[in-house]
Amino acid sequence: MQKLLLAVDRLSSWVGQAFAWAIVLLTALITWEVFSRYALNKPHDWALNAQIMLYGLLFMSAGAYTLAKNGHVRGDVLYGFFQPRTQATVDLVLYLLFFLPGIFALTWAGWDYALESLAIREKTFSATPLPLYPFKFVIPFSGAMLLLQGLVEIIRCIACIRDGEWPSREQDVEEVDVEKLKKMVKVSDEDIAALAATAPRSAK
Amino acid sequence: MKIRRELWFGFILMGLIILGTAGVMLSAEQLSRGHLGLAMLALVVVAIMLGFPTAFTLMGMGMIFTWFAYDRDITKTLDLMVQSAFKVMSNDVLISIPLFVFMGYLVERANLIEKLFRSLHLALARVPGSLAVATLFTCAVFATATGIVGAVVTLMGLLAFPQMLRAGYDVKLSAGAITAGGCLGILIPPSVMLIVYGATAGVSVVQLYAGALFPGLMLAGLYIIYVILIAKFKPELAPPLSEEGRRIDLPPLMSRVAAAFPGAALSGLLLALKGRNNANIPASYLLKQLLAALLPAIIVLGLLGLVWNSVTRPDPNLAYSAQSGAAGTGTSSGGLAEPPGSSGLREPPGAGGLREPPGSGGLREPSSRGGLAEPPGASGGLREPPASGGLAEPPGASSLRDPPGADGLREPSGGGLSEPPGSSGQDQHATALPHVPAPTGFWIGAGAAAVALIAFYAVLSFQRFEVFKMLLSSFFPLVVLILSVLGSIVFGLATPTEAAAVGAFGGFLLAAAYRQLTLTVVKDSAFLTAKTSAMVCWLFVGSSIFSAAFALLGGQELVEKWVLSMNLSKTEFLILSQVIIFLLGWPLEWTEIIVIFMPIFIPLLDNFGVDPLFFGLLVALNLQTAFLSPPVAMAAFYLKGVSPPHVTLNQIFRGMLPFMGIQVFAIVLLYVLPEIGLWLPKTLYGR
Repeated sequence: MQKLLLAVDRLSSWVGQAFAWAIVLLTALITWEVFSRYALNKPHDWALNAQIMLYGLLFMSAGAYTLAKNGHVRGDVLYGFFQPRTQATVDLVLYLLFFLPGIFALTWAGWDYALESLAIREKTFSATPLPLYPFKFVIPFSGAMLLLQGLVEIIRCIACIRDGEWPSREQDVEEVDVEKLKKMVKVSDEDIAALAATAPRSAK
Repeated sequence: MKIRRELWFGFILMGLIILGTAGVMLSAEQLSRGHLGLAMLALVVVAIMLGFPTAFTLMGMGMIFTWFAYDRDITKTLDLMVQSAFKVMSNDVLISIPLFVFMGYLVERANLIEKLFRSLHLALARVPGSLAVATLFTCAVFATATGIVGAVVTLMGLLAFPQMLRAGYDVKLSAGAITAGGCLGILIPPSVMLIVYGATAGVSVVQLYAGALFPGLMLAGLYIIYVILIAKFKPELAPPLSEEGRRIDLPPLMSRVAAAFPGAALSGLLLALKGRNNANIPASYLLKQLLAALLPAIIVLGLLGLVWNSVTRPDPNLAYSAQSGAAGTGTSSGGLAEPPGSSGLREPPGAGGLREPPGSGGLREPSSRGGLAEPPGASGGLREPPASGGLAEPPGASSLRDPPGADGLREPSGGGLSEPPGSSGQDQHATALPHVPAPTGFWIGAGAAAVALIAFYAVLSFQRFEVFKMLLSSFFPLVVLILSVLGSIVFGLATPTEAAAVGAFGGFLLAAAYRQLTLTVVKDSAFLTAKTSAMVCWLFVGSSIFSAAFALLGGQELVEKWVLSMNLSKTEFLILSQVIIFLLGWPLEWTEIIVIFMPIFIPLLDNFGVDPLFFGLLVALNLQTAFLSPPVAMAAFYLKGVSPPHVTLNQIFRGMLPFMGIQVFAIVLLYVLPEIGLWLPKTLYGR
């Protein structure tokens, strides 16, 4: 079971990470556009629409990735103080109550929305029109990925209620990775421990 | 039983919310749908406090209540949901969030904080409480550039905290300086919080940035003044640095120069070069050092030259528009853009620039949203008539209005014929175009710059020169990056999105310059950016569905009626709203507060004549306190994670309290003197 969960995790992460490169592309595109407009006097009318599509693609497809890494913001007043079993119960109930209906509806509606757009081969309103319908398919696609990842999280909750502890996840880059930061500024644990000697002096 | 107490705190809070809502519902004579909206609001706060991911709580709750609001019409509900999601996906304000976040991660990984802190604390060695002041300084600069609270606090906890403790600083003061300083990045622009507020409240991000600049600097300044006062009056809490901590070791070659030619660094270097055998020091080394030493002089001269050129330059646009006006080509106001720095370049009259083809109506240039804002007195080299696609503007039309959707920037002097201040003479647009004489103000400025330079070189000893070189390689690149990003936004040269992208590109360059640009760094930064953007933007997807449901149910009207029935004055309303936001800052994070509660507060502002921009500045200052108020004060936990075992969480919390007091003081100050925040937007955009 754990293997299957991790496989889905990896799939979500892979998709999210693949589209994460959009940010590099986005940076390059806008920087080039700024240069082209100011220095070469050659603005491109499609640039803004392309930017928006890259941005939408970036964050929508990272939704499942973020969920797989437990990265969506939570209110942390109580949650952190709960026992794992309580955490899992709360999560399970709210996944069933809020998450599944919400995401399912979004995916469903997004699919219809995108199909409508496909039917008329919708394009952007600009001098150089870009096709808009592939962008609309991002909604059902991201929704489906989230749904899949959500099911995995529900199974995790059940496993946690049964075992009393959360099943493990795979490591990923962290925003604040203390070990990495320590290495970056070359501070070791011994250095920090050595500071204990300053305690009496600083306490006075 | 500490855990118990925290849980009780949360449960009591939840109980109060539920009881309060029940009270309102039961006391109403008849239950309207608006009451359902209020119940939804209370339920969502409770659900968020339980700890389920907020984005999905909002989405699920919003969907269920939308369904109620539409009388159980599933099709309409689904339409609303997908349209809300698509609205967030195609939001051209939020697009700058991933870019700024990406820039932050790249700058963080360029790893110059160590150098930055060391150079700043050596440069500030004589100031009382120098280590704490340097900490605040470093935090302000680094946090502004990166905007990542956790990383800044952790890094400073690793770098500055041990040094302060070793120097005998009070634990509480040190902890307070680090945590408070680390949070400055969310207020001082370019900050993500202001983008989120701007997107939610429909306030121009450009104006928010211009408005938040001085309050942010003021807050940092207040922190620094507080630390200096403490060090002055209670030196036992922040003892001055020992001789050893202040000493600056010269590199071997440099110390030989210093030994041979004691005195000021500049003269020493010059003398060493002049000597027959260069005092046995390679001339290339000396020349390199001399170049570094002369850099300020070169920059000042270059700037003066640019300014002179621009203030005395005949205005080519003037000539151009006068020409085209005479020729009667009425539609040519679009797209003339001179590259920055080509101030000497003259646009051939009539042929200049790119002409917007009339009839390209839907074409939308990013630049058109930036509009034009000529900084008064700044170099007039950058000049761009609002490049509005398809917006035909006869040249010479006075009071040029921005195209719809523009950020509200207006030209200071109106019309296509704005002149840089100081350049006089309508008659200069003839073919000869001679330079006009520079105004006196320019010469006064030049004189002041010269005096400053002389003073700088007079005190530039060899030790100070070493510090200066360190600053040159850590402090100045960051400041230049921040200022160019911020400057181009605030002065309307670029949209926030463009500036953010160029800033991210600058982050690339910075990382490359510090030899940190590896594939891993880019990969990590890109992945982290994806996760952070997904977190913020999915929250927006959820909240847009939720707000729609709240509005559909009429919760907004109910709140409005209720608030108006209290007969508050403007001041009372402001105080009440700020207190509510402050209290919400305990259990909730700033993202949640802004995306859920600002849509409720903003429509009320009109009734009390409060400027949403000013309100945004108050909220931004207020939410700073949310980072420092227990029990959710993240900054404290990050610091605790890297501090030695004898530093307790309680000590850190107690150290943060005075800084929280300063934040409240800053809010009051901003309220009493709104000009602190509103002066810059008023001056630049004439609002």
